[in-house]
Amino acid sequence: MIQAEGLCKYYGPITAIEDVSFEVAQGEIIGFLGPNGAGKTTTMRILTGYSPASRGVARVAGFDVAKDPIEVKRRVGYLPESVPLYTEMLVKGFLKYVAEVKGVARQARSKEVERVMERCGLSGMGNRIIRNLSKGYRQRVGLAQALVGNPPVLILDEPTVGLDPRQIIEIRHMIGELAQDHTVLLSTHILPEVSMICQRVLIIHNGRLVAQDTMENLAGPKAGMTHIEVDARGPREEVERLLANLEGVRNVKLDGAGPFVVEAKTGAGIQARIAQALVNGGYELESLRERARTLEDVFVEAISSDEGAAAS
Amino acid sequence: MRSIWAVCKREFVSYFTTPVGYVIISVYAAISGLYFTGSFIIYARITQNPSAYAYDGIPELEEWMLSPFLVLCGQLIMFIGPLVTMRLLSEERNRGTMELLLTHPLRDREIIFGKYLAALGTLLVMMIIVGIHLTIMGSFTPVEPAVLFFGLITVFLMGAAFFSLGLFISAVSSNQVTAGTATFGAALISWILGTMGRDLPQAIPTPEEWPEGAVLLASFLYGVIREIIVSLPLDAHAQDLAQGIIYPHDVAYYVLFAAFFLFLTFRAFESRKWRA
Repeated sequence: MIQAEGLCKYYGPITAIEDVSFEVAQGEIIGFLGPNGAGKTTTMRILTGYSPASRGVARVAGFDVAKDPIEVKRRVGYLPESVPLYTEMLVKGFLKYVAEVKGVARQARSKEVERVMERCGLSGMGNRIIRNLSKGYRQRVGLAQALVGNPPVLILDEPTVGLDPRQIIEIRHMIGELAQDHTVLLSTHILPEVSMICQRVLIIHNGRLVAQDTMENLAGPKAGMTHIEVDARGPREEVERLLANLEGVRNVKLDGAGPFVVEAKTGAGIQARIAQALVNGGYELESLRERARTLEDVFVEAISSDEGAAAS
Repeated sequence: MRSIWAVCKREFVSYFTTPVGYVIISVYAAISGLYFTGSFIIYARITQNPSAYAYDGIPELEEWMLSPFLVLCGQLIMFIGPLVTMRLLSEERNRGTMELLLTHPLRDREIIFGKYLAALGTLLVMMIIVGIHLTIMGSFTPVEPAVLFFGLITVFLMGAAFFSLGLFISAVSSNQVTAGTATFGAALISWILGTMGRDLPQAIPTPEEWPEGAVLLASFLYGVIREIIVSLPLDAHAQDLAQGIIYPHDVAYYVLFAAFFLFLTFRAFESRKWRA
């Protein structure tokens, strides 16, 4: 549904993105992850036809963004990061205007506006002036605006930024529902958000795509290795030495004052052996559990390996 | 086509959902009304006793009052116009809604013509005010219909031409105040040139010791500059039109003026594609 091939964008001497290529299949929900300033917004702006790429080709639903911008814009609902709205308008009036611009037939317009308002939890807010709405409701109006005309592709730039925790949950829930019948590309710098809603992740850093894979593959255990959190009382160096000398243990890390993190080969009863060794040594074992790799680990790894590659 | 209408309607309505539109129309009504009332009273006095005002007979209504009033209405549009046009594109850029405008399925021409038509819509509201004045005048004394008709056309043409300049300035500014100030400056320059042009002599004297070639060159250059000062200002072409005398070059001037600045607006708007 979305194809990016070697997208580059230069602002004078500054490189915003460099050689970004990816594909999004129909019905997929993709998280676009990266620190602030990594190039997420730039990429999205190219895909929506807001700003042209310096090099490379972007296609949405088979149409080249540079050559058929109107066809692309008809098929994309876009929520910009800053959620720009005509603040002096009524919610309903604004959405009607958007429906007209997007070519919704006159007879169908009121119904379409009702539909998107209902979907975004704006029922009964139609006659409110946008200026007087809270940030959360403005975000909904922005989302509703993107949904008008029921475009098959949704591009949402940081849809949950600046909202309170309850609103974040609501918006995430809404996006999850939308994903049932839309292709969604969503950017964020909040890691758990991606693991909650997305099927696949693109990680971008310093304008380069450093990783792209499904959530399971990225967050799943690295082949043959597992991380075990061990919380034990006793002199730290002694415990560390003891753990490091066990068979199958690759590495022991101290997580600040918290538990030890033992990287070991999977299987072969490693957890039992750790417990046995600690008890035999006379240390008090508080807890012992296997830790799944979080997206944070993946993210930090991807970014640091990219920095390592750039330094060498 | 439908999208032009949608953009135009939204823009036009937004003039009147904010105080801007009401302020523009009120100020326009107040100033034109003041001028109209004043000159109408004086004209009425003159017709009662022309000799007391050093007139041989009763002066023509059209020439003495109607045309100057219409030209003033046109000039007034030039001074209030910046308030109408300054927001058109610069405000979208300033508050970020340009991102919506450019990611909705709209072509450049639908955006630009939609905006321009919305500005012309407010121009029509101003024309209604001029029309009210003229109806009042017509109820007192018969007026030559041609003068009335072409007078109104003149005001409209002046406004439409000037608004295209304002739209262009708004397209290259990212801030309403900058756009408004620059447009106002353009109006002022046009007005000053127009005033100067009326008193410029046909030729300038050159020192006798100058060779013949230099004299020719100097008078040629003066001629060019004089022609620019006399013909370029927006109100310079209104005087004849407002008296019901139609020269094709006057009408063509306004139409070409509007077309030229609309063209520049398109180029400026497209420049986003190659500038960063």
